[in-house]
Amino acid sequence: MVIIDWLRVNWLNIAVPVLVFFGVFSISLWLRRISYNALERWLKERKTEINTIIISATRGPFLHWFLILGAYIALQVSVLEPQWKSLGGRILASIFIAYFGWILIRLSRELIHLYLNRAKVLDKAIVATTSITQVTIIVIGVLILLELWGAPMTPILIIAIAAILITILVFRDIFPNLVSGFQLTQQKQIKTGDLISLKSGEGGRVEEITWRNTRIKTLEGNIIIIPNNKLMQTTIINYGKQPKVATEPFEFSTRLHLKELTGLSASNLSQLASRLKEVPDAVVYYHTHSFVEEYQFLTPEPTNDFALWVQDALGYDILAERLASIDTFEFPTVGALRQMITGVIQDFLAQTSNEREAPLGNEFHFIKSISIVMPTPYVAHDLQEFVNILRRVSIGSLYFHIFEARLRLQRVTNDFSLWLEECLGEKELAEQITRLDPYNYTMENLREIIIQLCEKRL
Amino acid sequence: MNPTINVKDYEPIVGKSYIEELSMLAHRLSGKTVLNINSTFAGGGVAEILSRLVPLLNQLGVDVRWQIISGDTQFFEVTKKLHNALHGKVEPISDDEFSLFLETTKGNLDQIDFSGDILFIHDPQPVALIAKKGDIGRNWIWRCHIDISHPDSRVWEFLKQFVINYDAGVLSSPNFAQELPIRQFFAPPSIDPLSDKNRELPAEAVGSVLAKYGLNQDKPLILQISRFDWLKDPLGVIEAFELVRKNFACQLVLAGGTASDDPESGEVLEKVKERAGGNPDIHILDIPPGSDIDINALQRAATIIMQKSLREGFALTITEALWKAKPVVASAVGGIPLQVKNKLTGLLCHSIEGAAYALRQILANPDYGRWLGHNGREHVHQHFLITREIRDYLLVFLTLERKEDFINL
Repeated sequence: MVIIDWLRVNWLNIAVPVLVFFGVFSISLWLRRISYNALERWLKERKTEINTIIISATRGPFLHWFLILGAYIALQVSVLEPQWKSLGGRILASIFIAYFGWILIRLSRELIHLYLNRAKVLDKAIVATTSITQVTIIVIGVLILLELWGAPMTPILIIAIAAILITILVFRDIFPNLVSGFQLTQQKQIKTGDLISLKSGEGGRVEEITWRNTRIKTLEGNIIIIPNNKLMQTTIINYGKQPKVATEPFEFSTRLHLKELTGLSASNLSQLASRLKEVPDAVVYYHTHSFVEEYQFLTPEPTNDFALWVQDALGYDILAERLASIDTFEFPTVGALRQMITGVIQDFLAQTSNEREAPLGNEFHFIKSISIVMPTPYVAHDLQEFVNILRRVSIGSLYFHIFEARLRLQRVTNDFSLWLEECLGEKELAEQITRLDPYNYTMENLREIIIQLCEKRL
Repeated sequence: MNPTINVKDYEPIVGKSYIEELSMLAHRLSGKTVLNINSTFAGGGVAEILSRLVPLLNQLGVDVRWQIISGDTQFFEVTKKLHNALHGKVEPISDDEFSLFLETTKGNLDQIDFSGDILFIHDPQPVALIAKKGDIGRNWIWRCHIDISHPDSRVWEFLKQFVINYDAGVLSSPNFAQELPIRQFFAPPSIDPLSDKNRELPAEAVGSVLAKYGLNQDKPLILQISRFDWLKDPLGVIEAFELVRKNFACQLVLAGGTASDDPESGEVLEKVKERAGGNPDIHILDIPPGSDIDINALQRAATIIMQKSLREGFALTITEALWKAKPVVASAVGGIPLQVKNKLTGLLCHSIEGAAYALRQILANPDYGRWLGHNGREHVHQHFLITREIRDYLLVFLTLERKEDFINL
């Protein structure tokens, strides 16, 4: 009875807020239909994937937010005491802020995942970006709530700013790397598996791009870890993905040499011919190849030591010309080359009556070439790596694989051609290099020509 | 040696791969100790090259040490005589002096700590230390820095009895090779491109040195750097210059020093000054020892550098000139033809007239001079820098016990 009496007296005080509440609710249903239809049409026209995410994340909450709004307006039009209205309003506002924030966090997480995954950004970078966004939303939400409930803001703001500054200091090295990592991958500058070289001369295959560093395996097999922001600041040549991989890698060796003095000398042609027959192959090899190594800067290079000595010390120009014209490239072995040289000298001797003597101090000294071969850390698995290594190996390495492989190790051709044909199937390229007469080029020219031939194939 | 110089500082000059190869060789020597023994820590070419080589080899990771023999004045007078005799000069050396040499060596055998796996003995003064090989074994190498192409036979026979017990010899020129039962390797001397005598100099520094010596910066400059010694033929240089000056406006600089241990040098200097007379285009400069930057500047300022010696060792002054990309005119004596390949890396001559002709060719054709200079610098770059000498020594140490012609390390 008491309730009925109370309602009879206060029905209008109750009816107005209730009507306002349902009125707002009805409007929200109508608004939702109109706005979501419009939104769906708009998103559909743009063929974007975010429509599902935005619509599914907000359709339900949209109604709930209007329920809260309805309750708030109803509260304000009620006849409650102002302090109760204020308290109720703040509670409703707090619920709204928390709810809105939660939805915003969900939405941001899904949108960040969608966009960054599409940009092929690293997982760790996605997680970091999501976390930063979520923390930012929570901090803003908490600050609004505190403001709402009248908490003293100045110390809180100071603490928040201090926390932000500390965070920036702690992550000052990480953040630029993170951003750089993002740029590197988003702009597709480099990808895992790419062969790159840096301005500093280092280079190799990209093994992994983490959110802070990029790991590169060098051509020597070493691992270099470069902070992403450093990588962004340097010039990178990206040779792209691994081309055809060789069935067996090419292991570069280098060849150094010692000159051993035999103590043997010649002061006339007869002595030269006679000594030439008895000295080891390594002596003949030295005197027919020393010019290749010793005069790399001259184009065309001087001829073999025998021709030079015969001309300079003995003054036999015709014989010098004949000796100089012997094409070393034609001979498969040092023995065959030796036979040719001694034959030419003996032919000349047979037609000469008065032999000339070299002036004192200008005798021909027989020198032996001792080759010392060492493996280098450079290994090529494909043509691109081969070219990159070829650019940086020493002249000794080039010399070994081209000259010594053929004449001293009795291989059918130079090592490069053998590998290119047998392990990479590059028959035509191999033949092109085989056909080069290395005696007609300086070592640096030879290096450049081989690189150019290979690059045409790339 | 400048203590701040590091082996990596040579990378821009010889290339990264060269230094990498040195490191690879040095790595293979890890665990071994190389002991250098010579007669002095300071003064003379051997001490100078060791003071550069030892720190660089240690930086590469090779345990290289350096000791000297001790001896009184009489001992070093005897070794000086041995040195001259090996150069071909007839020296009266008595049996007592040979005995003194052996006695001092015996004292050194007791004093020196021979803790090394490879004993690298430099020049004739400590050569007889090989006697220790019978007790301690190990590898012994004799590094002969001097010209022994025409040694006094008595002195050579005396020294040979020690040399033949070494495992190998290292010589500076092919014509120094002797008939010996041991292996002889060829490793020419070298210059250090980072030393004061060879490093790059700014144009102002060169200009101030020219001003200091009162030289005309606008007139072609022909230069011979050598101590005042008849064997360097300073009068022949003046004569060749006078032949050239008839047709070309140029100036001659004869720069060098007088050695305190060579009483003749003062006399030579006086004669040279007398011969130059009052010719304002001939400058005779008596440069004190240690004036490396002055010498460097003079070489860089020169149009042509001469070395018209009558007899010569290796002639590192030519190496220095070539390194500065200067066209050179030099006599075909000693180690000069190893460096100057006629008409390729410089011009060789055999007479005063020949020298004058070569000077004229270059003065009349500056482009030809530049081409020769460029080739000369490349030649030194490849064969006569300190990094090559380091490499040669490392290779000798590593392959001492390998007799093959083709060695896989």
